[in-house]
Amino acid sequence: MKQIRTITVLAYVVVSAGLVGIMESAATDVFLEATRPDFQKIPIGVLEFQGQRVPGEAAQRVAEVLKADLQRSQIFSVTDLAKLGIKVDEKLDLLNGAQLPLFKQAADNGVAVLVWGKMATRDTDLVFDGYAYDGGTAELLIGKRYAGGPPTLRQMAHRLADELVSRFTGEPGIARTKIAYVSDQRGGRELFVMDYDGETPRQVTADGFLDLTPQWSPDRRYLVFTAYRNRRKQTVDMIELATGKRRTLVALAGLNITPVFSPDGRYLAFATSQDGNSEIYTLDLRTNGLQRLTFQPAGDLSPFWSPTGRELAFTSDRGGGPQIYIMNADGSNVRRLTFEGDYNAAPAWSPRGDWIAFVCRTQEALFKLCLITPDGQKRLQITTGPGIDDSPSWSPDGRHLVFSSMVDDQSHIFMINRDGTERERLTKGGMRHSSPSWSPA
Amino acid sequence: MNTHMRMAGLAAAVGLLLVMGPGCSTKAVQTASDSESGEPAVSKEPPVSEQDLLAKSPSGSGPAGGSKEIQVAKVAPSDAARRHAEEVKKERAASALAGLQDVFFGFDSWNLSEDGKQALEADAQWLQSNPDKVVTIEGHCDERGTQAYNLVLGEKRAKAVRNYLVELGVGSGRLTVTSYGKERPFCNGHDESCYQQNRRGHIGLRVR
Repeated sequence: MKQIRTITVLAYVVVSAGLVGIMESAATDVFLEATRPDFQKIPIGVLEFQGQRVPGEAAQRVAEVLKADLQRSQIFSVTDLAKLGIKVDEKLDLLNGAQLPLFKQAADNGVAVLVWGKMATRDTDLVFDGYAYDGGTAELLIGKRYAGGPPTLRQMAHRLADELVSRFTGEPGIARTKIAYVSDQRGGRELFVMDYDGETPRQVTADGFLDLTPQWSPDRRYLVFTAYRNRRKQTVDMIELATGKRRTLVALAGLNITPVFSPDGRYLAFATSQDGNSEIYTLDLRTNGLQRLTFQPAGDLSPFWSPTGRELAFTSDRGGGPQIYIMNADGSNVRRLTFEGDYNAAPAWSPRGDWIAFVCRTQEALFKLCLITPDGQKRLQITTGPGIDDSPSWSPDGRHLVFSSMVDDQSHIFMINRDGTERERLTKGGMRHSSPSWSPA
Repeated sequence: MNTHMRMAGLAAAVGLLLVMGPGCSTKAVQTASDSESGEPAVSKEPPVSEQDLLAKSPSGSGPAGGSKEIQVAKVAPSDAARRHAEEVKKERAASALAGLQDVFFGFDSWNLSEDGKQALEADAQWLQSNPDKVVTIEGHCDERGTQAYNLVLGEKRAKAVRNYLVELGVGSGRLTVTSYGKERPFCNGHDESCYQQNRRGHIGLRVR
């Protein structure tokens, strides 16, 4: 039964999204591709939530977080219902077919999905009921009850947003993903983890000197990173987020940097200079077997797996300045990917496999983000402006990137759509935030 | 030695350094900064319970999907940053007092200039007349370019310094090489005068 309903909903979405696309074509919004060039965002309206008896305007805050999530998702475009005069009685206890004129009004304005919710208190908990309806027929598509203490308010909104995204795309949403990054803390550079929208930053390490380049394990339980616990001896470490338990994975002679898990979590790729210059190795986490992949009298670093795990992109200055190369996971079949510009580094392969993001130096000698297809056929620059951009990292849905951008003394973490639009600053206080890495979904 | 033997030897050497199964601690590389005493306090994501209001059976209650929240343990307060800062200050003062000179590099370059070589010749003399002293050679870079590539570039600079000192007769056992890339600049401005200060091989006199 549930299966049938899901299929119906999806069919509805495809058809209505197409129709809406035609209707919206004269609107001011320019829709850029989300997953395919002809993708049109689904117009969604969030009604005012009922929550009169709940202190702190909790219901409104959930609505605001939800709207931001939906807008960010690139699946939906959020319609301003108040502007259209579409509203519900603030005392409304249940929205259903009895308010059919309201749904008709929404449909007439092109709103394909309507969201309404109500919040109440139960002991010290907040209880939030969130509903999503077909804009035209008032058919109830989603009904969820979330309960938790007041600090869980944002999570409730994120959950409903993810529910909507997954219902309309069949893929997990990203509203409950996190971003690991490096931040100044009393002079040291420590690892932190924050929500994908920059909220609730949490400190992960307190080594007091320099920790860099965190990357997530596929199961989201661990971060692996470049660690300088000792100022002279530098290692690749792994930390379990839930417990803070720490292990050193690589302590070879020399610099051990830029670790990254393979997509199946079995291998670690990293760079070490134990051979005199920086070379890329893999470590089998099950057997502790090491394999050297590069053999060059040059710097090879920043390995990043393709989503299939069959190839690695990496930075190498074997041709003079740093450039992006690709090789098979066993080190064979090395080919140079970037030829434009004399400085290209820090590759990140998109989870869909279709693009590799990297840092490119422009003709004006600015460090910006570029994308290139793995066959090298298409290349484009996606950021502009004065900042020194670094460390691109993809969202698990492949629709967004985070990166750091430094202007004068300030370095912050930004989110952008993968075409470079809708730049949003995520880090708020502080001076220097860098090395962002987006968690899997 | 053939490649096979080298790989086998390497794997054996690495085996000693690598940590085996989970729960195993790494005493060989752990430092005093470890705060392994007691279980760290986990600052749990506050739980949200979830219930599908459209489910046919009312028993669909419970924390569905609740396991998906990423939990982050609370970090124990540490004075490591203050301790590191004090050590750095002491080392810098000791290097200055001994008259040890740093060397400077061109953009994206790790070649020693004539000035740089002269500075290192003086440093080598000092090291030879103070045979009980050991130094850490730190490679530094200016703020342009990526964090990761600058770590490698900084190491190339530090190694160029080390190699020249060894060439001048300083025992390599007295020279530790490290790189901080662009993360620990000497000068905090954003113009060429500062950049030049930051493309550096720093001779840090070890203080015991």
